[in-house]
Amino acid sequence: MRYSISVLFFAASLAAQPGLQVLPEVVELSTPESRQQLLAETFAGGFHEDATKAVTWSSSQPKVATVNAAGFVTPVSDGEATITASGNGLTASAKVRVKGMGQPFTWSFKNHVNPVLTKMGCNQGACHGAQAGKNGFKLTLRGYDPEVDYDTLTRASLGRRIAMADPPASLLLQKATFGIPHGGGLRFKKDSLEYRVIAEWIAAGAPRPMASDAAVTGLEVYPRTAILKPAQEHQVVVRARYSDGRVEDVTRWAKFSSNNEGAALVDDYGKVKMTGSGEAAISVWFSSRIVYTRMVSPYPHEVSEADYRKFERRNFVDDHALAKWKSLRLAPSAGATDAAFLRRAYLDAAGILPSAEEVEQFLADKSADKRQRMIDALLRREEFADYWAYKWSDLMLVSSRRLQSNTMWAFYNWIRDSVKANKPWDKFARDIFTSSGNTRTNGALNYFFLHKDPIDLTENVTQAFLGQRLTCARCHNHPLEKWTQTQYYQLANLFARVGIKSNSADPNDVVVFAKTTGDVNHPRLLRPLPPAPLDGEPLDLESTEDRRLHFANWLTSPKNPYFARNIVNRVWGNFMGRGLVDPIDDVREANAASNEELFAALVKDFVEHGYDIQHLIRTVMNSGVYQLSSDANATNQYDGVYYSKYIVKRLPGEVILDAMSQVTGVATAFPNYPAGTRALQLPDTQVVSRFLTVFGRPNRVICDASERSSDPSIAQALHAINGDTLNKKLSAADGAVSLFLKLGLSDSRILEHLFLSAYSRYPNEQERAASLGALRQSREVKGTASQVLDARRQAIEDMLWAMLTSKEFLFNY
Amino acid sequence: MIRLDADRSVEFCDGFRRRDFLHAGSLSTLGLGLGQFLGLKAHGAVDKSKDMNCIMLMLVGGPSQLDTWDMKPNAPVEIRGPYKPMKTNVPGIEISENFPRMAKHADKYAIVRSMYHTAAAVHDTGHQMMQTGRLFQGGVEHPHIGCVLGKLRGPKGDVPPHVLLPRPIGNTGGNMPHGQSAGFLGKTFDPFVLNADPADPNFRVPDMLPPDYLTALRVDRRRNWREMVDKTVNKFETSQDARLLDSTFHQAYTLMSSEKAREAFELHREDEKVREKYGMNRFGQSCLLARRMIEAGVRFVTINMFETVFDEITWDIHGSKPFSPISCYKDLVGPMFDMAYSSLLEELQQRGLLENTMIVAFGEFGRTPKVNPAGGRDHWPQCWSILMAGGGVKGGQAVGASDDIGAAPKDRPCTPGEVAATIYHSLGINLETELPGAQGRPIPIVDRGVQPIRELFS
Repeated sequence: MRYSISVLFFAASLAAQPGLQVLPEVVELSTPESRQQLLAETFAGGFHEDATKAVTWSSSQPKVATVNAAGFVTPVSDGEATITASGNGLTASAKVRVKGMGQPFTWSFKNHVNPVLTKMGCNQGACHGAQAGKNGFKLTLRGYDPEVDYDTLTRASLGRRIAMADPPASLLLQKATFGIPHGGGLRFKKDSLEYRVIAEWIAAGAPRPMASDAAVTGLEVYPRTAILKPAQEHQVVVRARYSDGRVEDVTRWAKFSSNNEGAALVDDYGKVKMTGSGEAAISVWFSSRIVYTRMVSPYPHEVSEADYRKFERRNFVDDHALAKWKSLRLAPSAGATDAAFLRRAYLDAAGILPSAEEVEQFLADKSADKRQRMIDALLRREEFADYWAYKWSDLMLVSSRRLQSNTMWAFYNWIRDSVKANKPWDKFARDIFTSSGNTRTNGALNYFFLHKDPIDLTENVTQAFLGQRLTCARCHNHPLEKWTQTQYYQLANLFARVGIKSNSADPNDVVVFAKTTGDVNHPRLLRPLPPAPLDGEPLDLESTEDRRLHFANWLTSPKNPYFARNIVNRVWGNFMGRGLVDPIDDVREANAASNEELFAALVKDFVEHGYDIQHLIRTVMNSGVYQLSSDANATNQYDGVYYSKYIVKRLPGEVILDAMSQVTGVATAFPNYPAGTRALQLPDTQVVSRFLTVFGRPNRVICDASERSSDPSIAQALHAINGDTLNKKLSAADGAVSLFLKLGLSDSRILEHLFLSAYSRYPNEQERAASLGALRQSREVKGTASQVLDARRQAIEDMLWAMLTSKEFLFNY
Repeated sequence: MIRLDADRSVEFCDGFRRRDFLHAGSLSTLGLGLGQFLGLKAHGAVDKSKDMNCIMLMLVGGPSQLDTWDMKPNAPVEIRGPYKPMKTNVPGIEISENFPRMAKHADKYAIVRSMYHTAAAVHDTGHQMMQTGRLFQGGVEHPHIGCVLGKLRGPKGDVPPHVLLPRPIGNTGGNMPHGQSAGFLGKTFDPFVLNADPADPNFRVPDMLPPDYLTALRVDRRRNWREMVDKTVNKFETSQDARLLDSTFHQAYTLMSSEKAREAFELHREDEKVREKYGMNRFGQSCLLARRMIEAGVRFVTINMFETVFDEITWDIHGSKPFSPISCYKDLVGPMFDMAYSSLLEELQQRGLLENTMIVAFGEFGRTPKVNPAGGRDHWPQCWSILMAGGGVKGGQAVGASDDIGAAPKDRPCTPGEVAATIYHSLGINLETELPGAQGRPIPIVDRGVQPIRELFS
């Protein structure tokens, strides 16, 4: 059946460059135990297909290497051979070089035994990898410490686990094969390769892991990407590269998972099966390394080249987005109207609405570059600095919860000044980690007052600047990530010499300085470890070099894989409604991006432009992707991941409150702040505001993007309907409604003004008629002149209430 | 529609009385809330013969099986820990001395002593599995059991079908979802979250009624005009958040116009003595509020005993900061649970509600059999104990058993999936029911083949 499908493809693809490819194309088998699974893949009509079992395999030199019907290559003797796949008149081949067949071979603990234990689940968190082990047998989680595991297996428990003289009698093998009762059940059978690896390793004298053992330097996955038809299957092959130059097929020992089971599932053996339309990142884990392959099943839409040509390319962002849409057969929405784009840009970049006058001017402007000029002007505004200072204050946890009023202001002002001056992001971070002095005069230093001990610092730094969560590793190796407890305390020790001196007479007088002594102990080893950044070079424990400087150099190095990705993702997500990796503050390796090419290009551009945040913002805002309409077309209704339309999002609570103030002409009174202070100008989230609390303002207690909520709730609706905030703005004696009446504006003129200031557009004819009709009807009141006037005022208030609680107002679209 | 007659009438400045407002309000909401859900009933997913409820007490932090409901007095001291067992009113069943009132009600609840899960030993995974029955993998976020119930049955009267008290679970270290939302069902089916502390002396649900300066007519007019303004723009149809916004306004109006719904939240209507019996703390008052919710027609109440495990005294007894010491089971957390849980059992039984209301109480995992060097116990998903009562559960029994040191199930191992199936079973929901997942892919409410813990219902 599978064969006949591929025959069809072969036939259909003859006209359009038929393709058959063998993967990988070059194979080196350097030990008698080396093997290689080859894949035969066809590409026709825009689709790949795994033809490995449909083709006929042959070896040019069966005395060098043989291949079976499933494409599995076994070495025989040193030499070279060509392995050929053929089917339906098409052929393709791989070169195989065999060497080292005469050399003695022993299985290595680190590179063979440990991967077997890992793949079989022995050292996973729920079994012997648990913190307390299982039944007195404890392995390190996923085998991260082979030395310890080796000793556990060979020395502990009176050496019963390994029986050198009689390998089959080893407890390890008897338990795993369920020869004797085992809580974990049968892990592998006696005739399996897994059994043979361990038994032969024991028989060879159970050689211990050595520093000279080859280390894994990287993984390769085949295919890198594939476009498949619905319900098709495709095998994935994984090779590990070692420091001694060897490349080995490790598919059998790798662990697989899919990030989108709605598109594809993957089994333990690396076989992918498409379950629906869309893209799945299949992650492959081997020996603490992660690599992805992307399996795509395009949506069943009809999208023509013309649909893509309509999309206006503006910069490199668009190229990568377009490539993704084409692979998925998603058509981008049309471009946003001027009115929609103006409103969107103001809200996303500066958290404000354009005024009615700004809307009218922009709509009347006929110049071709008006959007670009508007963006440039927006970035120069004070509200732009307010908005981003607020955002970075969320990250730094600025609040009066632990800071005094003047030190809180010092910290906030330092952040805002940095934004205003467009301080490069690496400089922003360096300024925090490399300075000393009084926290009132150097506001950045309050970072060390808020995060007073090395533990707090370790966890905030990794979250705010690196998008990594390390908390788990505080007490044990991170169960989901590669970070170990050792790495945690090495990082923490970089912050062991931050001195904080408070003046006992004046709590506001705090000095931060670098100490030359002090260490953080590893809680189990009860001794300090050489301070080191994550995967970075350690400092000597005896060194008196400023440890913070060492950290800052590593943090802001262009080689740091997380620093730029973290901030680029946060900025992108601010505008696009969803990070390229989601959640927005989780850029760990195991979390695949929805468009990695786009993400990598943005990061590269950001670093090349000196970590210039405003450049990044301009790049995003000027892209055609950002300027798409939020209206869906027939193909992208359900796309919330690939940016084929602008993602509708509820405005942040602070922005809603400020916008309500702006449209009603009545500022919000915040206790102890000058009249007219906007919510986005507050340096503090402790300021009492029922509205902001209900609408999801973050507490700034822990650095966590989910502290802020933008989900609509019943409490918000109740507050909008019954609460004092909006109601009092509408009825205020000195607000917009009073002004309209004082100026004697007609209903029609008032309505137009409200539409311009609340919705940044003119009402259409239907809206004009309906709203005017409603207002007129409500004014048919008999009574005194003042009763008539009251009735009119109330009607306008009510119309404005309706507009300010509507979706068009509360959402950016 | 129920004709409401408020017992207090408040004069509005336009001469309308509050009672009139309520009536006018309820008229304008007539039929809007229930209709959309009736269709689901027609699908046969719901067993109409029963109208069952559930209260889920989420014991955030993970209670130690060895210091609560699965004592091992004969184990060595480093296993059995500091507490002694106590006899209950059911011969053969003993629990920790920290729960003296519960000991008098053992006939009402069953203890499952053989729970385990095999995911990573972090809080978040356990929260997911206990509240949804599954671990989240492959990008699929499964719905909370209460949200599934809300989806299948819709609201009963004017109250939301699923209420979460007092607040959602926050940071517990893993940066993963906790399984407390409607997940792939969509936010429309998220629980109504109280977000207030019912033990606060000034506790009330804020903004439940219009301010005095706003007449009922105007509230109604605003509502109509909002709909009129909203109707002309159809660009939000594909946004889940936008649909949710509409639904929150609709539910807000429903709550406002229902005297019964509002009263359900008014704890001050309870006798002081009753309130004290539950414990004048966040958890105790939440349990009392849960009883009022069930009486008012809420189908599912979830109570999070704590919001986090950091810098708060909880069940998470690692023995070192920022976590909790083992002594808190005696000093604080134990008594808090003992009072609230016992009172809830007593009152539901007195009111005849225990038969159709299941009360489940569980943490996300158990704790290490061996006391650690800090005198605490660490995470242990390999074995723990949970409590189930009401809703058809036969009390006075222990289902399953652990080994000599409470380290692994010995008899009848039970998984979170089976617990979810048990709750669905009690609620009268067919386990074959499928829910619409992403792109319409049907997802069964529990994994195929997962069965309820039938011993509980014998």
